[in-house]
Amino acid sequence: MQILKPAMAGTLESSDAQVTVEPGDGVIEFHLQSSVINQYGNQIKKVVYETLNNLDIHDVKITIVDKGALDCTIKARVEGAVFRAADVYEDLPWGGTIR
Amino acid sequence: MQEGKRLKGKELDQLKKFLEFMDLSYDEGIEHSVCLYNDDSEIIAAGSVDQNVLKCIAVHPDYQGQGLTGTLMSELIQYQYEHGRSHILLYTKPANEAMFSDLGFYTIMKTSKVLLMENKKQGFSSWLNSLIKETPIFASSSDAKIGCIVANCNPFTLGHRYLIEESLKQCDYLHLFVLSDTRSFYPADIRYQMVKEGVADLSGVILHKTSDYMVSAATFPTYFMKDKSVAQKANCELDLELFGRLIAPALSIKKRFVGTEPTCKITGIYNQSMKTRLPDFGIEVIEIERKLADGSAISASLVRDCIKAGDYETVKRLVPENIFRYVLMKGGGSMMEIQKTDSLRQIFGPYINSSISNDDNRKEKSEKEQALFEMVDDYIEQA
Repeated sequence: MQILKPAMAGTLESSDAQVTVEPGDGVIEFHLQSSVINQYGNQIKKVVYETLNNLDIHDVKITIVDKGALDCTIKARVEGAVFRAADVYEDLPWGGTIR
Repeated sequence: MQEGKRLKGKELDQLKKFLEFMDLSYDEGIEHSVCLYNDDSEIIAAGSVDQNVLKCIAVHPDYQGQGLTGTLMSELIQYQYEHGRSHILLYTKPANEAMFSDLGFYTIMKTSKVLLMENKKQGFSSWLNSLIKETPIFASSSDAKIGCIVANCNPFTLGHRYLIEESLKQCDYLHLFVLSDTRSFYPADIRYQMVKEGVADLSGVILHKTSDYMVSAATFPTYFMKDKSVAQKANCELDLELFGRLIAPALSIKKRFVGTEPTCKITGIYNQSMKTRLPDFGIEVIEIERKLADGSAISASLVRDCIKAGDYETVKRLVPENIFRYVLMKGGGSMMEIQKTDSLRQIFGPYINSSISNDDNRKEKSEKEQALFEMVDDYIEQA
């Protein structure tokens, strides 16, 4: 999938994460801000990269402001942002690339 | 909880009252506000949007510490993305720095009164680096006399050309910043292209784009309201502070050139403020008398007025020859299509006539004309 335009998903509420994606410069550029970066920074990064890989995204600037979100939340927010950025709003591949 | 919108009437009065209580004032340029209410319908938190800038963000002291700023900011940022804006700036009081850095904002500049932040890590410093990259190495030596001009060039006129030529007499290299704001009559990339071509033959001019860091909605919010003349004061302190403190030193700029301002009040105040503020940063402000045409000062607003009125003969006398076709192209959404076609016919008439022979019948003739207009359109769009 291709990132066509900047898009975001999520909020800054506690237990959520705000994910923004933009067209990249050929690679995945990852920024993370989190109050639990020392405890879970690597885990969050792992989830994000896995999710992007599942969606076949290899060229993106992704910024995450994490407020203590669980892995499933982070995954859902990344997917939300990516599909918005790719202008896909209907017939989402539930059970396919989103699972 | 209240969905955000542009507030009016009673609701607006309530917001203004709340901001006053919080020691903030409601800015005229605000296009969208989000307010949170308590059970008694009193505002307990509010934030507003002006272009890509978040401002007037406040939470009532009795309700602080509940994460209301997060709710507010989520709404505001969502609004910005929905409007295609991904570079978001905000200003607030310096005391709030820690709170907003937790929400994904990074400090551009902090003074004793105001804090300017953006949502991109190193957005400002990478812009500064791009300025330095655009500058040839010999133009950054400390012996060179380095000046700068900041201009909108909406459109580029003989007045701009004159200001640049006069400034070059007083310095070795001239940084020319073209505003990137999108609210002008001519779009930003067309303006940049006009200037690029307009100064191509002058050596020593270094061209830059201002991004959101000079005379933008964030640094100088009233500049783009000048036509509506709602702003009572210029509100340009932040712009000058940022320029003097961070931008000018990065490029060793020692002089800033401006044209005298005979008509516009806001620009007049801006010039005046420059003269009082910039010398503190070791920058000399030099005002250059405007070039006259037919007895009155050439200004971009005059050119715009002529274009709107369809007076292309006057426009021709006010802009450089090689820029004329750009100026013409935009023609403004407000210009009648028939006027546009008529003036194009006048100007490109010779070309059209040479490509159309008298043997063609009427229909063929008009088809060929149409094709030619489209060609010119395409050409300008590409440029």
